[in-house]
Amino acid sequence: MFLEIKGLTKQFGGLTAVNRFDMYVSEGEIVGLIGPNGAGKTTLFNLITGVLRPTKGRVIFDGEDITGKKAHIVAQRGIGRTFQLNPLFANFTVLENVSASFHLHPKSSLFDIYFSTKTYRRNEAYILEQSLEILKLVGLEKVKDELAKNLPHGYQKMLGIARALAVKPKLLLLDEPIAGMNPDEIDFTMTGIRKTRQQGTTIVVVEHNMMIMNLCDRVVVINFGQKVAEGTPEEVRKNQEVIQAYFGGEHAA
Amino acid sequence: MSDNQLSTYIPSEPATARSRLIKPAILAGLVVIIALLPLLLGSPYLLHILILTLIYIIAAVSLRTITISGQFPLAHGAFMGIGAYLAGMASKHLGWSPWLTIPLAALVTMGIGMLIGYPFARLRALYYALGSLFFGIGVVYIIQAGGTWTGGYSGLTGIHPMFGGSKTAYYYFFLGLAIVSLLALYRFEFSRIGTNLKAIAQSHLVASSVGINEGWFRVLAVGVGCFFAGLAGAGYAHYNMVLSPASFNFMATLWLVMYVLIGGIDSFAGPIVGTIILILIPEFARGLKEYSPFLSAVLLLIVVYLMPKGLVSLPSLVRAWYSERRKGKKIAHVSGN
Repeated sequence: MFLEIKGLTKQFGGLTAVNRFDMYVSEGEIVGLIGPNGAGKTTLFNLITGVLRPTKGRVIFDGEDITGKKAHIVAQRGIGRTFQLNPLFANFTVLENVSASFHLHPKSSLFDIYFSTKTYRRNEAYILEQSLEILKLVGLEKVKDELAKNLPHGYQKMLGIARALAVKPKLLLLDEPIAGMNPDEIDFTMTGIRKTRQQGTTIVVVEHNMMIMNLCDRVVVINFGQKVAEGTPEEVRKNQEVIQAYFGGEHAA
Repeated sequence: MSDNQLSTYIPSEPATARSRLIKPAILAGLVVIIALLPLLLGSPYLLHILILTLIYIIAAVSLRTITISGQFPLAHGAFMGIGAYLAGMASKHLGWSPWLTIPLAALVTMGIGMLIGYPFARLRALYYALGSLFFGIGVVYIIQAGGTWTGGYSGLTGIHPMFGGSKTAYYYFFLGLAIVSLLALYRFEFSRIGTNLKAIAQSHLVASSVGINEGWFRVLAVGVGCFFAGLAGAGYAHYNMVLSPASFNFMATLWLVMYVLIGGIDSFAGPIVGTIILILIPEFARGLKEYSPFLSAVLLLIVVYLMPKGLVSLPSLVRAWYSERRKGKKIAHVSGN
């Protein structure tokens, strides 16, 4: 199993945000993690990527137990992620956002960086080339010299994905990539995600916008921190519990 | 005529060979003046002020180096004090040469900075400022309670000088030290290390999500900043030959913060400009000297309201204002036709 989550639990004081959650992701899949606001989706991402430490449970990635590892270690293991809010370095340009995110591959030693050795200059040239390639992939090459904070919302979110790709992730976690977007921006972003997948990256995407299901091979539904359903997008659409979670119990029919 | 055509109507000045030479020429002139200052001044007191300016430039620029990582310590004066007292005590009690005590004191200050910086790297904003503030106050207490080792309240005397008698030698020494330090700090900021620090300052969550070890880079920034604070302090110890705990108290830290803020925290040159202006202006207007805290506060308010990027942004603000005015006149002229 590529990513395996077993009995993951997170308690904030008396509140259980994620409750004995189980989930798996196979290599090459796009898995959707959907649920209403406050269901625990982002908390789950934060637990996987080391922003938060789980109260209980295990996260196993690519055969290694990464439970409770720090965020930069998780990134080193090959998990990239985006953020729902503040997804980028606001005062860097678009290009700088991506090139600054190339911290791991290739990695220059402090000595190489400080004394600008041949290795460092070669690495930086490679990073520049790769960054431009990623920007082309996600369709942002035209705005590469704009400050990130001046970009429209949809472009900012896409830049968040571009940044995460600089980690050369084996697994990419996208946190609400199309939330708050207009239809054009949604199209733009979905195309970018599809292209990313074609490059061989496994993707888990959190959304409460049901549009995202069109992208997914498999969907996991979470509500009140617990898994309520799992299956193909068609199966999940018909599932009673999912309809209840979204529209409330009484109106389900 | 549309607005679009109007804006293209204004010819931009062609970059002639002459105008391209102006900047390097000004720079070369400055270098010559700075190098010849001891001969031009002739007054040992003014030379003394210049030497202090050079020492505080190193300290202020190194403080700004820490702030680019998003940390705002209020203990930089105390770190200068640690360097100064380490060098002073090694010179007085052990009889070590200044050429040994100065680099060693800087290294030990760096070590102390990193040890303190490690737990502090988890603190944010106000908590960080408060924690470092109390650390700085603690350092002064320890110096005051140090008995014969530190000289206590009355200060540490008997530190060996670096050069016999002449201030000119000190001037050139500190000029060299400042240039080397600034080059070293400049390279630190404008390399991938500085990029990482700026990335952490903008979003530590995003930075660690791309594999940047946030804690380590924050500690590194503190270490490098403290190295140069210690270096400046140790140099000061061998120049002044007498140390008083009051020179490194909270006021000393606040002055360094003022140099950075008034000069401009967003640019490398900011603290240099801030230090020069805040130290030299009161000296040339002696009558104002006793009011300098008030004047600096007024200056800070003016800077905050009119030039948020600090005094260093003044030329570009003036240029923008001037070209705006010129443009206005041109447009008035055109519409008059």
